[in-house]
Amino acid sequence: MKTLSLRILAVVALSLAGLAAFAGSPRRRATASLDVAALAHDVQTEADHVTAVELARWIRDRKPALRVIDIRDSAEFDEYHIPRAERLPIEAVVKTSFQPGETIVLYSGGGAHAAQAWVLLKARGEKDVFFLRGGVAEWLDEVMNARIPANATGEAREEADSVAALSRYFGGVPRQVDSVVPIQSFKAMTARVRGRGC
Amino acid sequence: MIAPFFENGVFGETASLGVALAIGIAFGWFLERSGMGSARKLAGQFYLRDLTVFKVMFTAIITAMLGVFWLGWAGALDVDRIFVPETWILPQLAGGVIFGIGFAISGLCPGTSCVAAATGRIDGLAVVAGMFAGVLGTGLLFTRLQAFYFSTPRGVYTLPQLFNASQGAIVFGVVLIAFAGFRIAEMIERRFTRASIE
Amino acid sequence: MSAKPYSNPYLAGFGLGLVLLSAFVIMGRGLGASGAFASGAAAVAAAAAPKSAGANDYFARYLSASGSPRIDWLVVELIGVVIGGFVSAVLAGRFRREIEKGPRISDAARLRLAFTGGGVMGVGAVLARGCTSGQALTGGALLSVGSWIFIGAAFAAAYAAAPLLRKTWI
Repeated sequence: MKTLSLRILAVVALSLAGLAAFAGSPRRRATASLDVAALAHDVQTEADHVTAVELARWIRDRKPALRVIDIRDSAEFDEYHIPRAERLPIEAVVKTSFQPGETIVLYSGGGAHAAQAWVLLKARGEKDVFFLRGGVAEWLDEVMNARIPANATGEAREEADSVAALSRYFGGVPRQVDSVVPIQSFKAMTARVRGRGC
Repeated sequence: MIAPFFENGVFGETASLGVALAIGIAFGWFLERSGMGSARKLAGQFYLRDLTVFKVMFTAIITAMLGVFWLGWAGALDVDRIFVPETWILPQLAGGVIFGIGFAISGLCPGTSCVAAATGRIDGLAVVAGMFAGVLGTGLLFTRLQAFYFSTPRGVYTLPQLFNASQGAIVFGVVLIAFAGFRIAEMIERRFTRASIE
Repeated sequence: MSAKPYSNPYLAGFGLGLVLLSAFVIMGRGLGASGAFASGAAAVAAAAAPKSAGANDYFARYLSASGSPRIDWLVVELIGVVIGGFVSAVLAGRFRREIEKGPRISDAARLRLAFTGGGVMGVGAVLARGCTSGQALTGGALLSVGSWIFIGAAFAAAYAAAPLLRKTWI
């Protein structure tokens, strides 16, 4: 009686296992769906990305369940990465199941790859996903070497001071500018930052 | 593709807590039914007297594993929406070793210690208290462990990827290994025909 | 009522597997236990020192933005485990106030070992991101490499440590 049920279960399990070996994969078609209208809307309304300053504030304020994901290769990551970022190549990112409630921010060098990863994660059904539109370059330019207008007043002054404080929090060097903004090379920006140690 | 129901928005957060309670009750029921709430019985595994732990655990693993595969194949379950724990090779190896030592010392694991405590076992309560202290202590010292904790990440990394085999082939392999294990377990237990102490 | 014998391990394991499967199907997640302990620890830390708890990268995960503990799915699940275990034991006449141990060890020593073992498991569970429920059962069924590493390491270590603890049981 009990032995019979056990035998039946065992036979069923072994058969299902054998058939599984033949079936190969439980997925018979692509498992992502693209709601293009919704995605286009997100892009249009700029709900798809965050600015470097916004991200910096999230990191500084320890936004709960925030995951900052760097999709570049390990050499680039080791050379410089945004604080608290974790490195995951794009192929691993699309396989990762994120916890409900996690906020994901993707970034790459310039932002193009991160934007692609954003589309893929949205297609997989992730809700709280953003990317850093300007990538590491934007982080370096807007946070680490933030440009602080010299003659700002009132609200603009407050905002400028807040960004300057944010920059210093991450060990950055805000720079006072008047009106002309010199174009910095990527290398110059990273060199400036690395010079501060850590 | 209707499942996982929660991931597809069939019900909300509050209802999910009701589900948690129901699933927990069933979980506790089957743990107690199989004797997993008894430290003496669990310890029997490691002295090769009573291999119930192995039988219960691996039967549960292959049941759920086969269920996921075939429900996925049938199109009823979107397997990509299931949260798969990520892999960190070194911390999980070290954590496993440390956990195993703790298991041998206490005779219970976190889930079964709750069952033991619920069924009147004072040693179960002691394990619960110890676990709480251990987790709290480790959390408080987290900054010291942080680097190791986050080392060797692999993201979502599964056996099919590791062995470059299809999921079905791995399912088949795991079931075969489980059944071989069951056979060996029966043989070992027959050598020690001492009856399970209740 | 005299205690009824335990169920057949394979049948009980099958039942347990169905419970795990239903968690996958209904919730898209598996079972767990040590996560509930982490939630509890985070709550205690937050009550004692809210600012440092929020700043702690391990506890922060279990606290909401304001620093108060979130009602965790695993905590409710573990409450269910307690209820389920209790009901099953009472119905089978297996509820008993006792300290499970062997004949060659004292009650006090056994309780000390139980507490210590629990503490050690707490450390291991934090590093491994789970325990037998979250990693071995759930991760094992989902074929996660890290979970299978955990299973192998935990079993091997337990077998290695067991001879040193014979006096507890035999």
